[in-house]
Amino acid sequence: MGENNATNGGSEKTLTRREFVTIMVGAGATVAVAAVLADPLNSVAQSLLGTDTEVNAEEAPASTGPRWGMVIDLRKCIGCEYCVFACQATNDVTDEMRWNVHIMDETPTGNIFHLTRPCLHCNHAPCVSVCPASATYQREDGLVVMDYDKCIGCRYCQVACPYGARSFNWEERGDTPNPRVPEWGTPEVERRPRGVVEKCSFCIHRLDAGLARGQTPGVDPEATPACVNICPVTARYFGNLNDPESNVSKLLASTPTFRLREDLGTDPNVYYIPPEGLTI
Amino acid sequence: MIAMISTAAMAVRRKPVLSLWMMLLLAMVTVGAVSIVFVLVEGLKVTNLTNALPWGLWITVDLSAIGLGAGAFTLSAAVYIFGLKKYEAIARAAVFIGLLGYSSAMLALFVDIGRPDRFYHPVLYWNPHSVLWEITMCVILYTTVLLLEFIPIVLESRFFARYGWAHTVAHLLHRVMPVVALAGLGLSLLHQSSLGATYGVLTARPVWYSPSAPVLFILSAAAAGPALTMLVTLIAGEVLKKRMVPTDVLHGVARFVGFASLAYLYLKLWSWAATNYYSHVPAQATGIELLKEHTPYDVTFWWGEVLMGALLPAIIFLWPRLRRNRYLLMLGALMVVAGLVINRWNMTLSGFTVPLDWSPGVLDVFGMNRYSPTLVEWGVAVGIVGYTWLAFTLGVRYLSLYPQAVRLVRTRPAPAPVPASEPFADAAPAGD
Repeated sequence: MGENNATNGGSEKTLTRREFVTIMVGAGATVAVAAVLADPLNSVAQSLLGTDTEVNAEEAPASTGPRWGMVIDLRKCIGCEYCVFACQATNDVTDEMRWNVHIMDETPTGNIFHLTRPCLHCNHAPCVSVCPASATYQREDGLVVMDYDKCIGCRYCQVACPYGARSFNWEERGDTPNPRVPEWGTPEVERRPRGVVEKCSFCIHRLDAGLARGQTPGVDPEATPACVNICPVTARYFGNLNDPESNVSKLLASTPTFRLREDLGTDPNVYYIPPEGLTI
Repeated sequence: MIAMISTAAMAVRRKPVLSLWMMLLLAMVTVGAVSIVFVLVEGLKVTNLTNALPWGLWITVDLSAIGLGAGAFTLSAAVYIFGLKKYEAIARAAVFIGLLGYSSAMLALFVDIGRPDRFYHPVLYWNPHSVLWEITMCVILYTTVLLLEFIPIVLESRFFARYGWAHTVAHLLHRVMPVVALAGLGLSLLHQSSLGATYGVLTARPVWYSPSAPVLFILSAAAAGPALTMLVTLIAGEVLKKRMVPTDVLHGVARFVGFASLAYLYLKLWSWAATNYYSHVPAQATGIELLKEHTPYDVTFWWGEVLMGALLPAIIFLWPRLRRNRYLLMLGALMVVAGLVINRWNMTLSGFTVPLDWSPGVLDVFGMNRYSPTLVEWGVAVGIVGYTWLAFTLGVRYLSLYPQAVRLVRTRPAPAPVPASEPFADAAPAGD
């Protein structure tokens, strides 16, 4: 830059030494001021844009830490709804507020297939970006979870979620019995209060407790989501997507999979193996 | 009790219209208060909202109230930023109506959220990614702006005339008013459009997802806000037999509303043409087809939003001969206001009525979502409307909202018509 100025000045013979010095000092000062300003501005911008949140706070960079994900094999699923019920019992969820739902659909070739849908724990989760109170957030390990103490119950996340994966507590549940308890398990988490939204957490309490005990989620049942453990046909797999040796990574490497509404750019951490007749 | 009834009876005999009006408003407010308490005690299960359709009538009230409160920022900007001093005659009323709009919007939201005890959480736990967070912050800040603009009006009322300090404070506030108005303009431009973005940014809802939604929201608000201010000003003048603001001021506002309506119409038609007429994006097209088939969306869009809400009023406001008729002026303003409310209802409901589609198969797994508000939901809405009307009635009575109001004196045994005394006769030069 400085060199350019000097040569230009020299060749055109219009730049006096005084002007050259003035320009250089001015340019230097500008750069210095810019450098001084840039740092705080940058950090302000980062905090505004949320680029330096929990990701930097943890010691491990995203690439080496775990990223929890699920693979659901629609070739195997028989629509028994065991995973739905186990989830309801374990997380104490009512019939109207199911975190994990089952639907039936048809392939273009006329094959009926069953599909169950937990929260997809999207990497670009619309529910996270729209929350006005930061009550929904994504952890570094990929889990999209809620702080029920922050939620104001505005329900914008329900409006924004492309998959209908969120339920609102329209009323206080009190001590009303859970129809899935004790047949399908016992509640392992607190009931949510009236007026907040709730969602599938990939059984975060099991994951975190299991990891603390040195267990491997997806391998050790105590550290694995209830829906995965109960599946009678082993249609659900859970594990660390960042570990090439995990069962989910091996499945993804060996089998064609798809994700729900990839066109929306939500980048879910739940993958599906298509049923026969469905080409995605 | 008997004394109260006899006092009321006497009031009715002395001023029958005003008394009956006040009774109606008090009844509305009472219904609203009872409904709000009921909702706060019982929770949102008393609504017809569901997980598939979690926003309804109250969101429409909230969006409409903020849109209709936009007269405050447009007219304040005209007076304090663009130096159009003559609009001071109507700016105070606009600020007051804005304050009523924003306070009722906040009331509607307070009832609507599941945890009203945590209403302040967005201020504590920032999420700048969320348009709703930005709206919350802007609405809080802008309501502060409106209060700052409103305080001088209160301090200059008859009650405070005896206090010297009131005059000093009012004078000080007047001096900083350009800065306050500038902040108000900026905040309003932000959140009025963000309210449209609330729907416009949602990729999963093809009927909503649109880059024109934010601009359509601010244009419609810029038209309907001043239109509401004009409408209630005309009605107040009619009732009080006064000319509340100079005629040329009124006609200036009318012209502005006319042009804003045209701008709104222009973008609205292009937005429709680009997404519905010249293209056939599957999800969007099927969504609109579903709405046409199962809901009054299409009819209310064309007749309510386009024709009544923008085209007809634009003709009335921009055609000087029509504009001079104050009843047509009232009708036009009413149409703009009604058009905005219909639009906010249609916006809210259309996106929800069309179901989400995340199943990879070929069947229509998810049915249409339906909603009609419960009695309690209507009760809250009626109460909020009643509150704004009651507050405005009292405001006209006790505050100097219209500093240039002139009592219209009928020269009784007038042998010849006196044009000057004719209410709203257009004395201003043609082409105002």
